[in-house]
Amino acid sequence: MAGKQKPKPNPDQDYRAPQREMAEAEKETAVTDKVVGDAEELPKAIVRRLVKDKLSQLSSDSEISVFREALEAFSDSARIFVHYLSATANDICKESKRQTINAEDVFKALEEIEFSDYVGPLRASLEGFRQKNGGKRSLSSKAKEINKKGKKKDLPSGSGSQNKDDENESNKEDNAD
Amino acid sequence: MRQPGAYSGLRISGKTGPHSLPLARIKKIMKNSSDEVKMISGEAPIVFSKASELFIEELTKRAWMMTLQAKRRTLHKEDVVSAVIKTDIFDFLVNLVSENSGKSEDPQPVMEA
Repeated sequence: MAGKQKPKPNPDQDYRAPQREMAEAEKETAVTDKVVGDAEELPKAIVRRLVKDKLSQLSSDSEISVFREALEAFSDSARIFVHYLSATANDICKESKRQTINAEDVFKALEEIEFSDYVGPLRASLEGFRQKNGGKRSLSSKAKEINKKGKKKDLPSGSGSQNKDDENESNKEDNAD
Repeated sequence: MRQPGAYSGLRISGKTGPHSLPLARIKKIMKNSSDEVKMISGEAPIVFSKASELFIEELTKRAWMMTLQAKRRTLHKEDVVSAVIKTDIFDFLVNLVSENSGKSEDPQPVMEA
Protein backbone atom coordinates (compact mmCIF):
# COMPACT_ATOMS: atom_id res chain seq x y z
CA MET A 1 0.00 0.00 0.00
CA ALA A 2 2.53 2.54 1.10
CA GLY A 3 4.35 4.22 -1.72
CA LYS A 4 7.04 6.59 -0.75
CA GLN A 5 7.29 6.95 2.96
CA LYS A 6 9.84 9.51 3.87
CA PRO A 7 11.01 9.33 7.47
CA LYS A 8 10.03 12.29 9.56
CA PRO A 9 12.90 14.74 9.96
CA ASN A 10 14.72 14.17 13.19
CA PRO A 11 15.26 17.46 15.02
CA ASP A 12 18.47 16.09 16.46
CA GLN A 13 19.95 15.72 13.04
CA ASP A 14 18.97 19.19 12.02
CA TYR A 15 22.06 21.29 11.63
CA ARG A 16 20.25 24.61 11.93
CA ALA A 17 19.92 26.70 15.05
CA PRO A 18 17.84 24.93 17.69
CA GLN A 19 15.39 27.83 17.85
CA ARG A 20 14.63 27.49 14.18
CA GLU A 21 14.80 23.75 13.92
CA MET A 22 11.21 23.29 14.99
CA ALA A 23 9.97 25.72 12.36
CA GLU A 24 12.20 24.16 9.73
CA ALA A 25 11.15 20.69 10.74
CA GLU A 26 7.57 21.74 10.46
CA LYS A 27 8.22 23.19 7.05
CA GLU A 28 9.89 20.00 5.94
CA THR A 29 7.02 17.92 7.20
CA ALA A 30 4.69 20.24 5.34
CA VAL A 31 6.62 19.52 2.16
CA THR A 32 6.59 15.78 2.75
CA ASP A 33 2.93 15.96 3.55
CA LYS A 34 2.39 17.26 0.09
CA VAL A 35 4.05 14.19 -1.34
CA VAL A 36 2.80 11.50 1.01
CA GLY A 37 -0.37 13.32 1.82
CA ASP A 38 -3.40 12.36 3.79
CA ALA A 39 -5.74 10.61 1.43
CA GLU A 40 -8.70 12.37 2.97
CA GLU A 41 -7.36 15.88 2.75
CA LEU A 42 -7.05 18.31 -0.08
CA PRO A 43 -3.51 19.13 -1.23
CA LYS A 44 -2.18 21.86 0.99
CA ALA A 45 -0.33 23.54 -1.84
CA ILE A 46 -3.51 24.06 -3.79
CA VAL A 47 -5.41 25.30 -0.77
CA ARG A 48 -2.58 27.72 -0.04
CA ARG A 49 -2.62 28.97 -3.60
CA LEU A 50 -6.37 29.50 -3.56
CA VAL A 51 -6.16 31.45 -0.32
CA LYS A 52 -3.17 33.52 -1.45
CA ASP A 53 -4.72 34.34 -4.80
CA LYS A 54 -7.91 35.46 -3.17
CA LEU A 55 -6.07 37.59 -0.66
CA SER A 56 -4.04 39.27 -3.40
CA GLN A 57 -7.32 40.05 -5.15
CA LEU A 58 -8.78 41.52 -1.99
CA SER A 59 -5.82 43.58 -0.87
CA SER A 60 -3.76 44.64 -3.84
CA ASP A 61 -1.84 47.24 -1.90
CA SER A 62 -0.70 45.31 1.14
CA GLU A 63 0.36 41.74 1.33
CA ILE A 64 -1.45 39.61 3.83
CA SER A 65 0.41 36.58 5.10
CA VAL A 66 -1.32 33.50 6.35
CA PHE A 67 -0.46 31.51 9.44
CA ARG A 68 0.09 27.83 8.81
CA GLU A 69 -2.59 26.94 11.33
CA ALA A 70 -5.05 29.09 9.42
CA LEU A 71 -4.24 27.23 6.20
CA GLU A 72 -4.98 23.96 7.96
CA ALA A 73 -8.27 25.43 9.08
CA PHE A 74 -9.09 26.30 5.46
CA SER A 75 -8.19 22.81 4.34
CA ASP A 76 -10.21 21.15 7.09
CA SER A 77 -13.17 23.42 6.39
CA ALA A 78 -13.12 22.53 2.71
CA ARG A 79 -12.94 18.84 3.54
CA ILE A 80 -15.95 19.11 5.82
CA PHE A 81 -17.72 21.11 3.13
CA VAL A 82 -17.19 18.24 0.69
CA HIS A 83 -18.42 15.77 3.32
CA TYR A 84 -21.52 17.81 4.02
CA LEU A 85 -22.29 18.43 0.37
CA SER A 86 -21.71 14.76 -0.47
CA ALA A 87 -24.06 13.55 2.22
CA THR A 88 -26.73 16.01 1.11
CA ALA A 89 -26.32 15.11 -2.55
CA ASN A 90 -26.45 11.44 -1.64
CA ASP A 91 -29.74 11.93 0.17
CA ILE A 92 -31.17 13.71 -2.85
CA CYS A 93 -29.92 10.94 -5.10
CA LYS A 94 -31.54 8.29 -2.95
CA GLU A 95 -34.83 10.16 -2.97
CA SER A 96 -34.77 9.88 -6.73
CA LYS A 97 -34.12 6.15 -6.29
CA ARG A 98 -30.83 6.28 -8.11
CA GLN A 99 -27.48 5.01 -6.99
CA THR A 100 -25.16 7.34 -8.84
CA ILE A 101 -24.69 10.90 -7.68
CA ASN A 102 -24.78 13.16 -10.71
CA ALA A 103 -24.19 16.86 -11.21
CA GLU A 104 -27.85 17.77 -10.77
CA ASP A 105 -27.89 16.13 -7.35
CA VAL A 106 -24.96 18.31 -6.39
CA PHE A 107 -26.71 21.46 -7.60
CA LYS A 108 -29.80 20.63 -5.62
CA ALA A 109 -27.66 19.88 -2.60
CA LEU A 110 -25.99 23.27 -2.90
CA GLU A 111 -29.36 24.94 -2.82
CA GLU A 112 -30.35 22.81 0.13
CA ILE A 113 -27.40 23.93 2.21
CA GLU A 114 -27.99 27.55 1.23
CA PHE A 115 -25.10 27.85 -1.18
CA SER A 116 -27.42 28.53 -4.06
CA ASP A 117 -25.25 31.47 -5.14
CA TYR A 118 -22.70 28.95 -6.33
CA VAL A 119 -25.07 27.12 -8.64
CA GLY A 120 -24.93 29.64 -11.47
CA PRO A 121 -21.13 29.84 -11.81
CA LEU A 122 -20.84 26.10 -11.30
CA ARG A 123 -23.31 25.34 -14.05
CA ALA A 124 -21.41 27.63 -16.38
CA SER A 125 -18.15 25.97 -15.46
CA LEU A 126 -19.59 22.54 -16.01
CA GLU A 127 -21.04 23.54 -19.37
CA GLY A 128 -17.64 24.83 -20.41
CA PHE A 129 -16.10 21.52 -19.45
CA ARG A 130 -18.76 19.59 -21.33
CA GLN A 131 -18.21 21.62 -24.45
CA LYS A 132 -14.49 21.07 -24.24
CA ASN A 133 -14.97 17.34 -24.03
CA GLY A 134 -17.78 17.14 -26.53
CA GLY A 135 -17.13 13.50 -27.29
CA LYS A 136 -17.86 12.32 -23.78
CA ARG A 137 -20.04 9.25 -23.40
CA SER A 138 -22.26 10.85 -20.80
CA LEU A 139 -22.95 13.77 -23.08
CA SER A 140 -23.79 11.58 -26.04
CA SER A 141 -25.99 9.34 -23.92
CA LYS A 142 -27.84 12.38 -22.62
CA ALA A 143 -28.26 13.64 -26.15
CA LYS A 144 -29.78 10.32 -27.11
CA GLU A 145 -32.19 10.59 -24.20
CA ILE A 146 -33.24 14.04 -25.29
CA ASN A 147 -33.82 12.85 -28.84
CA LYS A 148 -35.88 9.97 -27.60
CA LYS A 149 -37.99 12.09 -25.32
CA GLY A 150 -39.23 15.05 -27.25
CA LYS A 151 -37.67 16.20 -30.41
CA LYS A 152 -39.40 14.17 -33.04
CA LYS A 153 -39.98 17.37 -34.95
CA ASP A 154 -36.34 17.54 -35.89
CA LEU A 155 -35.96 15.62 -39.08
CA PRO A 156 -32.72 13.92 -40.00
CA SER A 157 -30.05 16.19 -41.34
CA GLY A 158 -30.73 15.20 -44.96
CA SER A 159 -34.01 17.04 -45.31
CA GLY A 160 -32.72 19.93 -43.30
CA SER A 161 -29.80 20.43 -45.58
CA GLN A 162 -32.05 20.31 -48.55
CA ASN A 163 -33.95 23.27 -47.22
CA LYS A 164 -30.76 25.13 -46.75
CA ASP A 165 -29.62 24.30 -50.22
CA ASP A 166 -32.83 25.70 -51.61
CA GLU A 167 -32.21 28.91 -49.77
CA ASN A 168 -28.70 29.08 -51.06
CA GLU A 169 -29.86 28.53 -54.58
CA SER A 170 -32.39 31.28 -54.26
CA ASN A 171 -29.70 33.59 -52.96
CA LYS A 172 -27.49 32.72 -55.81
CA GLU A 173 -30.20 33.51 -58.20
CA ASP A 174 -30.64 36.88 -56.57
CA ASN A 175 -26.95 37.57 -56.78
CA ALA A 176 -26.90 36.57 -60.37
CA ASP A 177 -29.42 39.29 -61.18
CA MET B 1 -21.88 42.15 -0.87
CA ARG B 2 -21.40 39.42 -3.40
CA GLN B 3 -20.73 40.65 -6.86
CA PRO B 4 -20.82 38.51 -9.96
CA GLY B 5 -17.57 40.07 -10.99
CA ALA B 6 -15.79 38.20 -8.25
CA TYR B 7 -16.67 34.91 -9.84
CA SER B 8 -15.91 35.96 -13.38
CA GLY B 9 -12.45 36.80 -12.17
CA LEU B 10 -11.87 33.12 -11.65
CA ARG B 11 -12.03 32.46 -15.34
CA ILE B 12 -9.92 35.42 -16.25
CA SER B 13 -6.97 34.47 -14.08
CA GLY B 14 -5.01 31.84 -15.86
CA LYS B 15 -3.39 30.55 -12.71
CA THR B 16 -6.05 28.09 -11.70
CA GLY B 17 -6.71 25.36 -14.21
CA PRO B 18 -10.18 24.04 -14.94
CA HIS B 19 -9.86 21.48 -12.14
CA SER B 20 -7.32 22.65 -9.64
CA LEU B 21 -8.29 20.23 -6.93
CA PRO B 22 -7.49 16.63 -7.83
CA LEU B 23 -10.66 14.82 -8.75
CA ALA B 24 -9.44 11.50 -7.38
CA ARG B 25 -8.83 13.03 -3.97
CA ILE B 26 -12.27 14.60 -3.98
CA LYS B 27 -13.82 11.28 -4.86
CA LYS B 28 -12.08 9.70 -1.87
CA ILE B 29 -13.38 12.37 0.46
CA MET B 30 -16.86 11.96 -0.94
CA LYS B 31 -16.79 8.23 -0.38
CA ASN B 32 -15.42 8.69 3.10
CA SER B 33 -18.24 11.02 4.00
CA SER B 34 -20.69 8.19 4.20
CA ASP B 35 -20.80 4.45 3.64
CA GLU B 36 -23.93 5.04 1.63
CA VAL B 37 -22.12 6.97 -1.05
CA LYS B 38 -21.26 4.28 -3.50
CA MET B 39 -21.33 5.52 -7.05
CA ILE B 40 -20.41 8.95 -8.28
CA SER B 41 -20.83 10.18 -11.83
CA GLY B 42 -17.86 11.52 -13.72
CA GLU B 43 -19.10 15.08 -13.56
CA ALA B 44 -19.86 15.25 -9.85
CA PRO B 45 -16.23 15.60 -8.69
CA ILE B 46 -15.78 18.41 -11.19
CA VAL B 47 -18.64 20.33 -9.64
CA PHE B 48 -17.29 19.53 -6.19
CA SER B 49 -13.85 20.76 -7.14
CA LYS B 50 -15.15 24.10 -8.32
CA ALA B 51 -17.58 24.38 -5.40
CA SER B 52 -14.72 23.77 -2.98
CA GLU B 53 -12.71 26.50 -4.66
CA LEU B 54 -15.56 28.94 -4.32
CA PHE B 55 -16.06 27.89 -0.72
CA ILE B 56 -12.41 28.37 0.17
CA GLU B 57 -12.40 31.76 -1.49
CA GLU B 58 -15.50 32.87 0.35
CA LEU B 59 -14.11 31.69 3.65
CA THR B 60 -10.87 33.47 2.85
CA LYS B 61 -12.68 36.70 2.15
CA ARG B 62 -14.65 36.57 5.36
CA ALA B 63 -11.62 35.62 7.43
CA TRP B 64 -9.67 38.45 5.84
CA MET B 65 -12.37 40.87 6.95
CA MET B 66 -11.79 39.66 10.49
CA THR B 67 -8.07 40.25 10.06
CA LEU B 68 -8.77 43.78 8.88
CA GLN B 69 -11.00 44.47 11.85
CA ALA B 70 -8.23 43.36 14.17
CA LYS B 71 -5.86 45.65 12.21
CA ARG B 72 -3.41 42.85 11.56
CA ARG B 73 -1.61 41.76 8.42
CA THR B 74 -1.38 38.12 9.23
CA LEU B 75 -4.43 35.95 8.87
CA HIS B 76 -4.74 33.86 11.99
CA LYS B 77 -6.80 30.79 12.63
CA GLU B 78 -8.98 32.80 14.98
CA ASP B 79 -9.99 34.91 11.99
CA VAL B 80 -11.25 31.79 10.26
CA VAL B 81 -13.07 30.81 13.44
CA SER B 82 -14.68 34.23 13.74
CA ALA B 83 -15.76 34.12 10.11
CA VAL B 84 -17.37 30.72 10.62
CA ILE B 85 -19.23 31.82 13.71
CA LYS B 86 -20.45 35.01 12.12
CA THR B 87 -21.67 33.43 8.90
CA ASP B 88 -24.96 31.66 9.09
CA ILE B 89 -24.41 29.25 6.23
CA PHE B 90 -21.13 28.08 7.75
CA ASP B 91 -22.96 26.53 10.68
CA PHE B 92 -21.85 23.09 9.62
CA LEU B 93 -18.31 24.14 10.45
CA VAL B 94 -19.13 25.22 13.97
CA ASN B 95 -18.31 21.81 15.35
CA LEU B 96 -14.90 21.93 13.79
CA VAL B 97 -13.97 25.27 15.25
CA SER B 98 -15.55 24.68 18.62
CA GLU B 99 -13.51 21.51 19.09
CA ASN B 100 -10.32 23.39 18.37
CA SER B 101 -11.11 26.45 20.40
CA GLY B 102 -12.56 24.48 23.28
CA LYS B 103 -15.25 27.03 23.82
CA SER B 104 -18.86 26.01 24.25
CA GLU B 105 -20.46 29.39 23.84
CA ASP B 106 -23.87 29.65 22.33
CA PRO B 107 -23.70 30.94 18.78
CA GLN B 108 -24.57 34.59 18.67
CA PRO B 109 -27.50 35.60 16.53
CA VAL B 110 -25.96 36.36 13.19
CA MET B 111 -27.11 38.71 10.50
CA GLU B 112 -28.08 37.34 7.16
CA ALA B 113 -25.08 36.56 5.06
